[in-house]
Formats: sequence, C-alpha cells, structure tokens
Amino acid sequence: MRTPWIQVEDLHLSRGGRPVLHGVTVSAVGRAVGLVGANGAGKSTLIGALLGVLRPDRGKIRVLGLDVPRDARELRARAGVMAEQAGIFPGGSGVEAVVFSGMLSGLARREALRRAHRALDALEVGEERYRGTREYSTGMRQRCKLAMALVHDPEILILDEPTVGLDPPGRAQFLALLRELRDGGRRLLLSTHLLPDAESVCDELLLLDAGTVGYSGGLDSLRRASRVEFSAEGPGLDDAFAAALGANGVAARVIDAAAGSAASLRFDGGAEALSSFWRLAAERGAAVRRLDRDSPELEDAVLEAMGVSHPR
Amino acid sequence: MSRILGESTASGGANGANGALTPVVRSAPSAGHVVTTIARREIGLAARRGLVRILFLGSLLPPIVLAVILLVQIFAEQTFGTNLGWDPLLRFLQAQAIPVALLSLALGTPLVARDRAEDVIFLYGVRPVQPWQYVLGKLLAVAAPAAALMLFPGIVIAFLRMSVVGDLSAAQGAAMVSKVALAALLVGAGYAGVAVGPSAAVKRARTALLLSIGAFTLPDLAARLISLRDPAPIGPSTAIRALLASLFGQGDASDGLIGAVALITYAVAGFLVARARVGREMTP
Repeated sequence: MRTPWIQVEDLHLSRGGRPVLHGVTVSAVGRAVGLVGANGAGKSTLIGALLGVLRPDRGKIRVLGLDVPRDARELRARAGVMAEQAGIFPGGSGVEAVVFSGMLSGLARREALRRAHRALDALEVGEERYRGTREYSTGMRQRCKLAMALVHDPEILILDEPTVGLDPPGRAQFLALLRELRDGGRRLLLSTHLLPDAESVCDELLLLDAGTVGYSGGLDSLRRASRVEFSAEGPGLDDAFAAALGANGVAARVIDAAAGSAASLRFDGGAEALSSFWRLAAERGAAVRRLDRDSPELEDAVLEAMGVSHPR
Repeated sequence: MSRILGESTASGGANGANGALTPVVRSAPSAGHVVTTIARREIGLAARRGLVRILFLGSLLPPIVLAVILLVQIFAEQTFGTNLGWDPLLRFLQAQAIPVALLSLALGTPLVARDRAEDVIFLYGVRPVQPWQYVLGKLLAVAAPAAALMLFPGIVIAFLRMSVVGDLSAAQGAAMVSKVALAALLVGAGYAGVAVGPSAAVKRARTALLLSIGAFTLPDLAARLISLRDPAPIGPSTAIRALLASLFGQGDASDGLIGAVALITYAVAGFLVARARVGREMTP
C-alpha cells in the first residue's frame, strides 16, 4: 500500500468569518492528483492550507509527512508552486526571475543560475529567457512560471490552473510537460476547472463541492461508480420494449425510432439492468444487432458526484 | 527534453542525468539568506533605472566637494602654518543627507507597490519566505545604500585626518567612525521606513512617493504648529539634522536623542505597515 503524501483530517477553515472548508478529509496517494470543483468550492483555500499559508480553524494536515502549518517553511522548500493568480517576479528577464526563485528556495546564486538555465532549456525557452518578462506571450509566461516552480528540484508541484490562457497546441504541449514531470517521479497537485486537463494528467481526483469533499479517489473508480449507460440497436427495441424495461426498474428511452425496422434504445444500469434487457429481448423476440456500453465522460462522472445533472 | 523535468531527486541523490549538479537543499533557507537575496535583487534592479543612477551620482557630489574642501584646508594650514580649526564633517553629513533622502525615495517607494500591482507577493508566500523576511529585505535594499553613502565618506575623512592631517589619534578616529556609523545606521533605517511603509500601503509607486513626501514634511509642520519657537525634530530631515548636530557639533543632546528615536520610529512604523499588508497578500 502506498503512503499518502497528502493527509488531511477534518479540516475546517474560515476566511473573513465565512467558513470555506468544512470537515475536509482527504488521503492522496496518486502521482498526480487533480483538484477540481466549481468556482468558490475552496480549491485555492485548500492549496493555501496545504502550504501552511492559511491557518486552519481545526483539523490536521500532513504533506510529505510534514506537519502543516508547523513545518510549513520546510515543506515550501520542498514544493514548487505555479499559481494562476500570481505573475512572474517583475523587473528583470525570465532567467533572472527563475534564478531569484531558486535563491528564495535556498539555492546559492551560482547553483540557482545553473539550474535556472537547465529548467529553461528543458521547457524549451530559448533566447527569450534574456528578454524582459513583460514582453512574454501567455505561453512563454506559463513556461517561465513553471521553471520558477521547478528550479529548486521540488518533490511536489502544485499547479493552479496552469493552462489558462493557452491556445490548444500550447495547452496540449503544456499537458505533455506535466505528464513528463509526473512520470519522472514528481508528485503533482493540479487544480483546474478544465476536467479534460485533469483527465489527461491525473490518476487521482479530489472533488471539492462547496467546501466539502465530493469525491476523493482514482479517476477510474469515479467512472465505475458513476451511472453506466448502454446503447442497443435492432428490430423490436421500440417504445413498448422501453416501457417493459421501465417496468423492470431500468430507465430506458428510445433515441432513434426512425431507422426502418430497427430502433435504437439507451438504458441505464449495471449487470442487473443488462440481465433484464437480455431476458426481455428473448421474451419479446427482439433481434439485438448491436449493444455498446457507453463509458461515461469524466465530466459526467464529476457532475454526478456533485449531484448535478448534465445539461444535454 | 532535459532530464530536469523527468527526474526528481526526492531521495536526495545527485540531480540530473550527468550528475553535474549538486543535490538541492531540502531544508528551509536561513532568514539571512532570504533577506539578503531580496535586498540584493532590488538593489540590482534599481541600479538599472536612470533616475536612481542620477541620484546615486548626485549622492557622490557632497563627498567630492568635501574632499576638495579638505584638500584646500590642508594646503592652507600647511602654507600659513595655522590651524583653521574648522571641521567640515557636520556640514558634509547634513548636506549628504539630502541626496541620500532623494535616492532612498526613488529606491524604496516602488518596492512593495510594484509587487502588489504585479500580484507577486503571493509568490513569496508559497516559498519559504516569511512576511517579516520579505519586508526586512525591502528595507535593507534602501537602508544599505543610504547608510553606505553616509558612512563611506565619513571613513575617508577619518582616514585623511589620521594619516594626512594628523589631528586625530587612532582612538579618536575610531570614535569618529563609530559615530558616523551610528548616524548612518539610523539615517538608513529611518529613510527606509519612510520609503517602504508608504510603498506597502498603495499599489502605485507615484502615490507611494507622494505619501513618502508627506511623511517627510507633515511631522515637521505638526511640530511647528505645536511649538513655533522650539519645534521638536520629529520629521525625518530635522531628526537627522538634530542627530548629526548632537553627534558632531554643539547640538542639543536631547534634540539628538529625540531625532534618533524619531528615526527608529519611522523604521519600525515602516516595517509594521509593510508587514501587516504583506501578511495579508501572501495568502491566496
């Protein structure tokens, strides 16, 4: 069994007198954990609490085995943070900002300079590194921010909306970078409202819903726990068949009745629903030409976990 | 793609495929490292600004004038065989305080305001940097050049008087340097507080500059309103004049003490204002 690198127990945290997190309990073991939730769900507050920047009203937090907020400074020396809300250290070039970031994390100047160039090389920032950061495009800014988070070789990376503002190719490239970091052994906490980003990088998901944990666990488990749908096609799969399935407790609807003698039917459920379907098909002489199990999209699964129906 | 992306040294081993880089630190850096890192960066960035360069050169003017005066004085005393009995140090230090004040304002007023405007204070918060370390780094970025510009000419004068003029013994020279150092320290701290405190209060460097100018002038106006005949030296500039006069001239010792307390108060107030603001902005 893998050791959790984030352990939160019964975390309560208020900001400005308003409770933001209430009773959050999480144990994350995945290499990359996606932190998702609606605006105002408490994602940024949770990140602040994990880094010891915000003090909880009550509850326990351990990250990388360190007690937070007591050991917060040590944790921050071992963590790299790329924040959406914050920019790049102003006033100088990209490489200067990265060097400064490394020095703030404890590196000597010479070492910080060497590592800054390596990080920028790795992120494919060429001669632009010597230009003032004010001239950077969004993509270049994101790379520079990631280099600032990486320069001191952190064990964990906390990324807050890292792909915001990137065009589709830039976004795909950036997500590939994050996967490479993950595969290299770093642990990632990726806060995002873009579920495809989380799906692309993360193996574990932490869903915050109005300050509480809506779901915490593997992405696959979330999909499995979510509603499964089947699509079937063939003669006899008509309204009467759907009604008969409904009478057996399986929600079903005809989705395409105009396909000649064949109709398409969609129904929800697991193994029992499937068994009812086959039994009814045999009883009513329906010829099933095709039966597909529709794997739910992560977005559907997340919405379901939040108790929100998808606006199809 | 370089291995730096794909190879964390979580176990503490050497980093990178070529092993050229030493293992990175895993514990939080010392407060001294953080404070000096911030101060050095700010001084380096400020040195690129034209205004700061001009003011820095302007700050070198009084020491040059003083050196000329000293040379003329030495020449005259040697030629006529008389002791003119005139010590230009007090006038020099009082004159020097003016360009140093301007330099401090140009250096210090953008420091926190710019970070607030660019939303980067949070970046310090998520690194092993405490709010007080951040503020101390900014204060040091102003205080260190200001103090150095006051101290360095004082050391030169003491050296000249000990070695060329010969009117000071080594002990007297050391005492003089100590007094200049004390004055330089207080001037640097006071100016830093007056520049950095207002910088933390607003997001625009120009507004911070106006606030700083207010901090330079309003206390003296208030002191004059309270006592027109004998206003207490509570404004930064009058505090420095009183302090220098009591240390190097015939000034009133109590006024010098009030001046020193006033300068310390400006430094502490600047620190506290900036600390309070930065503490709030280091949170997400």
